[in-house]
Amino acid sequence: MSARSAAIQKWIIPLVVLAAWEASGRAGALPRYLSYPSVILAALWEAAADGELAQAVLASVYRVSAGFVLGTAAGLIVGVSAGLARGVRNFFDPLVSALFAVPKIAFLPVFLLLFGLGHASKIAIVGFSSFFPVFIASRHAVLSVDKTLLWAARNMGTPPRTMFFRVVIPAAAPQLLAGVRIGLAHAFVVLFAAELIGSHAGLTNLITEGENAARFDLMLAGIVAFAMLGFASDRLLLALRRRVLKGQLVGTEEQSAP
Amino acid sequence: MNVRLHRLVAQWYSIPLLLALWQIAVSSGLIESRLLPSVATVGGTLVAELADGALLYHTAVTLGRALAGFFLAALIGVPFAAAMARSSLFRNLFEPVFFFGYPVPKIALFPVFTYVFGFGTSSKVAFTFLECLYPIVVTSYFGFRGLDSRLIWVARNFGAGRLTVLRRVIVPAALPAIFSGLRVALPVSLIVVVLTEMIGDSIGLGYYITVWGTRFAFQNVYAAIVVIGACGFALDQALLVLRRRIVHWQKEPPR
Repeated sequence: MSARSAAIQKWIIPLVVLAAWEASGRAGALPRYLSYPSVILAALWEAAADGELAQAVLASVYRVSAGFVLGTAAGLIVGVSAGLARGVRNFFDPLVSALFAVPKIAFLPVFLLLFGLGHASKIAIVGFSSFFPVFIASRHAVLSVDKTLLWAARNMGTPPRTMFFRVVIPAAAPQLLAGVRIGLAHAFVVLFAAELIGSHAGLTNLITEGENAARFDLMLAGIVAFAMLGFASDRLLLALRRRVLKGQLVGTEEQSAP
Repeated sequence: MNVRLHRLVAQWYSIPLLLALWQIAVSSGLIESRLLPSVATVGGTLVAELADGALLYHTAVTLGRALAGFFLAALIGVPFAAAMARSSLFRNLFEPVFFFGYPVPKIALFPVFTYVFGFGTSSKVAFTFLECLYPIVVTSYFGFRGLDSRLIWVARNFGAGRLTVLRRVIVPAALPAIFSGLRVALPVSLIVVVLTEMIGDSIGLGYYITVWGTRFAFQNVYAAIVVIGACGFALDQALLVLRRRIVHWQKEPPR
């Protein structure tokens, strides 16, 4: 099969779904809450024009980025230390495995009482939930650094500092970044739920407002905006990752992947 | 024996230590006990609520929903991944759906799910299905793709039919990847059900947490968190036992 027909096939499902959605929406065959693409785009445009969208996006981005950066930094520091030092590992391992399967959002009532309904409680819960995957991945990444590399470097008299920055971190980088990526996914999920349950700003607010006013096009516009935000941040992280890992991706399948 | 005891203490001391610190901080009045009820209070509430049956009921609801969504996703997702890996038409059709859909925070769609499926169990199960489907399909897809083609050639050379090849070569070779996908998806199912129950429901552990949280009865919130943690742990262990039986030729990867 030629590359061209493969490329065409890849577009079939998205295009057919969009076209069917639009057509049946225009024909009035769909329930009102599903709206249809062109109306949703118009609503998105409307929200963008009166500044409501920018405000909502700013609030959400502020929360998710502050929380994610804090949680990821903590996860990287503690996780890498746990990988290096048995004492740290022994302290954190039981705690993390005890909390691993608990949805971090379950702590939301506690965070709401501690930090109030504003930005702080969302930042805290987003940071709290992105900490765990980053911790687990970094701990594992540092522990599984090839011992021969360490021995070789030590044999040549590498000082501990250089050892850490030039051997351990570069060797662990791919797995560290994989953990950061999972952390980002968790951050968005928790942000959405936290905003939906207790908040007065952010993209979720746009969704609930649209819902309450029976403006389903506005609700779906908020949903589309949130989904796009999550998708774009993931792509940004991947681009960053490709830069950081430039040398390490040579010869792997990923080098040529889009 | 002494060495083993020593190691056990060294590896697990942090939980009892923190619990003890917590208890001391609360009973000495350092922390307000309304926000952080003492360990003893939480334990008492946990036992009372379990005995009462209230907590058991909500746990059963949550577990039922999580497992229903998870099993649906596994039953549909694994054959789907196999089809995507073996047929290029299938792959081209669905690859964009899974690879571009993967990083999209699907939770944003939950409001639409509540409109389509209502507020009760069906919207939660449907949403859990969607959330579990992605890790299962994507991970098992790579399992089916990463197959050594020589294995299939050898089997065919020995006269194995298509069905035999599928049953005796392809599926066993992909099983480790399938299980790692399942292991990612299983805690996701629990998390997603609790999360969506917190957003809106009148039964389930998520509802239990929100309702007692708004009444500032944090001992109940913590009791529910303990139960969720225990469920997650038990489910993961059960999956590992199953994996050890089915994929007995390969050791499980560490978490």
